[in-house]
Amino acid sequence: MIDGVKRIGLYEWEVPVGFIPHMRVPGRFFLSESLGRILEPGAVQQLANVATLPGIIRHSLAMPDIHWGYGFPIGGVAAFSLAEGVISPGGVGFDINCGVRLFTTPLAEKDIAGRRDLVDELYNAVPTGVGAKSPVKVSSGSLDSMMMNGARWAVKAGYGLPGDLERCEDKGCMKQADSSHVSAKAKQRGVPQGGTLGSGNHFLEMQVVREIYDPEAAQAFGLASGQVCCMIHCGSRGLGHQVCTDHLKTLELATKKYHITLPDRQLACAPILSPEGKAYFGAMAAAANYAWANRQMITHAARTVLAKKFGIDYDGMPLVYDVAHNVAKREEHQYEGKREDVCVHRKGATRAFGPGASDIPADLARIGQPVIIPGSMGTSSYVLKGTRTAMEKTFGSTCHGAGRIMSRSQAKKQLSGKEIAAGLLRMGIIVRAPNENAIADEAPEVYKSSDEVVNVVHEVGISRLVARLSPIGVIKG
Amino acid sequence: MSFEEISHTADVRIQAQAPTRNELFSDAFTALMQVMYGPDRKGGQHREIALSAEDDEALLRDFLSEVLFISEVDGLVFVQATVMIDGHTLVAHLDGEPFDRNRHSFGTEVKGISYSGLAITRDANGYMLDIVFDV
Repeated sequence: MIDGVKRIGLYEWEVPVGFIPHMRVPGRFFLSESLGRILEPGAVQQLANVATLPGIIRHSLAMPDIHWGYGFPIGGVAAFSLAEGVISPGGVGFDINCGVRLFTTPLAEKDIAGRRDLVDELYNAVPTGVGAKSPVKVSSGSLDSMMMNGARWAVKAGYGLPGDLERCEDKGCMKQADSSHVSAKAKQRGVPQGGTLGSGNHFLEMQVVREIYDPEAAQAFGLASGQVCCMIHCGSRGLGHQVCTDHLKTLELATKKYHITLPDRQLACAPILSPEGKAYFGAMAAAANYAWANRQMITHAARTVLAKKFGIDYDGMPLVYDVAHNVAKREEHQYEGKREDVCVHRKGATRAFGPGASDIPADLARIGQPVIIPGSMGTSSYVLKGTRTAMEKTFGSTCHGAGRIMSRSQAKKQLSGKEIAAGLLRMGIIVRAPNENAIADEAPEVYKSSDEVVNVVHEVGISRLVARLSPIGVIKG
Repeated sequence: MSFEEISHTADVRIQAQAPTRNELFSDAFTALMQVMYGPDRKGGQHREIALSAEDDEALLRDFLSEVLFISEVDGLVFVQATVMIDGHTLVAHLDGEPFDRNRHSFGTEVKGISYSGLAITRDANGYMLDIVFDV
């Protein structure tokens, strides 16, 4: 382990105050020994940098998928008091409300195994990759409603079922959204991209439930062994990217205006309750809502293909849940013996609220919030449940995915997209992407094992395993 | 033109060197287009960017952010930029063509440009750039 980092449990490590100057709280992260061997020193430095920010509460945290990001590490979680704390785009990322959702189908593996025609139809129904435009014309009035109402707008516009909203984090809409702080440029980028997947690690996968670890929770979530499900991973597209770009600039000025001393220029921030802080939060929430509407539109496109192709009911494909993994939220947490309204940043981390917490669907109140952890195209994805331990240790947060271990340039040099696609096909996985590079870029080999990452969060207890799914049809952006 | 892609786990890292700031910025621009759209890019349509910023890093970040914006909303893929920097003010003439799914789908979307991993340094031979594109 990196010098100066202390082990405080089998999977828990502490970065003590003093690791770098001006830390206000210690850093904490969760990692197995083998994941520790690939931990980048830069990521620990970033974790320590976050600990210097004004108003940070308890710990600067990182999940086992920690790696080097900009500002915060990926996998970073930090909560700030409203009175003294700050908000930073470096704690959210460019892809605001990048997230994952999962819906079930009444189909079994035998119904769709080897069906390239299904993968092709899904690929044609969901615009993917660089330069993809939506077939849906969104007016500027509709765009504003998307940003203010999120998934609610999409369901009202006919892209889903009312029940979907109950199964989204925040019911698919952050009510603090303020589209007046979203620039004309961001809106211009948002208009043509509603219902598009994007590129990079974003995907739509047809998956099969392979293992159930927690039958009670699985049943409550609507998951059964052998069932075919659809997982969608994407975010707020160019609109969210532009909101981040625009507000980074205003928050750099605010950092100076409020005399905030930073160890790293990438942590540009402003007091949460300052005009600049509120403007960023309102715009970020609007972009988060756009992302929920976007995932809802993609869900609609996929359900429409499945319903038509297999003669199944559109209504018979309920949403298990939808989680955001790049976001800042106002939440109530127990702190120093009382309930406090705080601002939690999750940068590549997933909310994992435990039983009895607010904003969990009423029928899951006893179980905990469903947590969805995507794998890569050849490896497993997981459904977990939130826990009380997460509420105590991590402000109700857990990991968000596997995390890369090989660069894109290395992947392109070492791996051939064609060979990977052929190898996956031998495993029964059909892949469709705009080009071979996109397949090599996101090959299973470039990611850490998601098995090990979820094993750590399960053992630490910040979420518990419910089910494992593996892909049989993959659409890459 | 001289730039190369350096191994970076999560994102795309580029290093470039050039005798002048104008050429360095132009190289960074070319790298961005190459990462997003691949090598097959032609000219014919023109756009101009003019902006100012407090230092070289901010100027480059703002310039490339503006390129991302224009490329996306106008659906243009650029082959070349002529960059003229005077103090902290930049004017750039971009030459490109409409996005063609058959020829330009070989890259990765760049989400944004931040100060993460961004450094511009100068020595006797000219300017050097290290930059990370968030993908």
